[in-house]
Amino acid sequence: MSRDRALDAEHPLTLPGFFDALADGDLLGGVCADCGQVLLPPRPACYACGSRDVTVAEQPREGTVYTHTAVHTPPPALADDAPYTVAVVELDGGGRLLGRVDADHDDVTIGDPVELRVREPTAAEREAALDYEAAWPVHLFEPR
Amino acid sequence: MPRPVIAAVGASRLGRTALPGRDLFSVAVDEAFEGLPAPAELVGALYAGNQSERYENQIMHGTLLAEWAGLRYVPAERVEGCAAAGALALRHAVTDVRNGEHDAVLACGVEKMTAGGTDVATASLAAAFDRAIEQRSGVTAPSQYALLARRYLHETEATERDLARIAVKNHRNAARNPRAQFGETIDVDTVLESQPVAPPLKLFDCAPVTDGAAVVLVTSAETAAELGVPAVDLAGTGAAANNIAVAERDMTHIEGARIAAERAYAEAGVTAADIDIAEVHDAFTVSEALLSEAAGFAPVGTGYQSHRPPAERDDGWTDVALSTSGGLKARGHPVGATGLLQAVEAYEQLTGVAGERPGDPPEGAPSSPETALLLNEGGVADAVTVAHVLTAAPEVGR
Repeated sequence: MSRDRALDAEHPLTLPGFFDALADGDLLGGVCADCGQVLLPPRPACYACGSRDVTVAEQPREGTVYTHTAVHTPPPALADDAPYTVAVVELDGGGRLLGRVDADHDDVTIGDPVELRVREPTAAEREAALDYEAAWPVHLFEPR
Repeated sequence: MPRPVIAAVGASRLGRTALPGRDLFSVAVDEAFEGLPAPAELVGALYAGNQSERYENQIMHGTLLAEWAGLRYVPAERVEGCAAAGALALRHAVTDVRNGEHDAVLACGVEKMTAGGTDVATASLAAAFDRAIEQRSGVTAPSQYALLARRYLHETEATERDLARIAVKNHRNAARNPRAQFGETIDVDTVLESQPVAPPLKLFDCAPVTDGAAVVLVTSAETAAELGVPAVDLAGTGAAANNIAVAERDMTHIEGARIAAERAYAEAGVTAADIDIAEVHDAFTVSEALLSEAAGFAPVGTGYQSHRPPAERDDGWTDVALSTSGGLKARGHPVGATGLLQAVEAYEQLTGVAGERPGDPPEGAPSSPETALLLNEGGVADAVTVAHVLTAAPEVGR
């Protein structure tokens, strides 16, 4: 176990560290040194085997749609966006990540290739953000 | 070790009501303690399942409900695990009685979901999802379960029509249950033609927003015998947490639920084949299919047949009757009370009270069930699951 690590807001095993890197276009994943499980976002412990020996490595941003839906009854803050498409994407590096898809739901199928990109939060998203989230980018998937 | 039993149950009316949460609780307590000494003369501790403080801007439900039950100075606390809060409260009561900590514990659940309108309910339920990735992506409870449903339909032979038939079956069961929120039967077209919420799920695939409260009095078998009440054994309990983000879990094999159920089976000394009736967490139709498999009732990929009478299910299925109450789908789903409403149903089935319901029982349903499984989930699917096995105990009570 890495007792010498300092988990401050710059460390990629914390959310601020992860989102800072994501804002620069780097998708960081935790990788369990014992079993290889990819952890998105990175975290100090592996959920697959319990190890706390987790390294951080950049993950490929390409993947395929594992499952998908469209949100017709959104949370109040996102009312203007609905209906919007949401998917769980299996990334080529092995992790799975949920996110919005920049496509009509009718045009999305399981197995479709997609790529992660990040954007600035909209005014409505900023309004709904917690203090510490205000500068975090929003990730989404685009068909490729 | 003392043997924990359910000695009494009570519930409020379910659905939109003028009563605030604490008053719904009072209605449930009045029913449960009818003919019994007051709670203060029996109860040593209280656990209160409650999902969200957003609805009524109220936390401290342990203190509040203990006070409203007349239980001054007992240990009392709110238990939170989204929709699993009720069964978590029940589990704490079971372990307290089993460990000899108290002779009687009141497990309570209350949720006043209509107090802030649909927007508050949507936002409150979304708080059960991972904040950093899931909530910020704009997912809702129906859309999370739709992700499971889409994948389930992809991997199995199940169709949207099969899921609709689960809703039809549960409304049919609810129509016989005087406690249920919905008294009307529906047909498959009602479901298929209802408003899309999150494809492939439509409005009638989803449990409703419900106000309600339920209480379950857990005592030692000895205390129940002294009270002279019909009792049901709390023979096994199990719980398991899984990852908060649904993307990181197996989305078609609900592992946390399987593990929780197996723990409860092991404690009770039973197997899935012994279960006569089950209340599973059918917050969405697909959940009943997935949980039928996780509980060991159905071979992998055939859980969607839960709406069929036993003789018409694939080989490998047990004869279990699912959601005899109407389930979350049609009995109603006051989130923090739901796990206790499942226990209310099992108590009434195993003591024979439910046998007096009007109309024909579901085809293939056992006429005098002896063993029940309850599966109560919180968050999306198995973010946390609590399982209980209940068995009839005719020799304990009157």
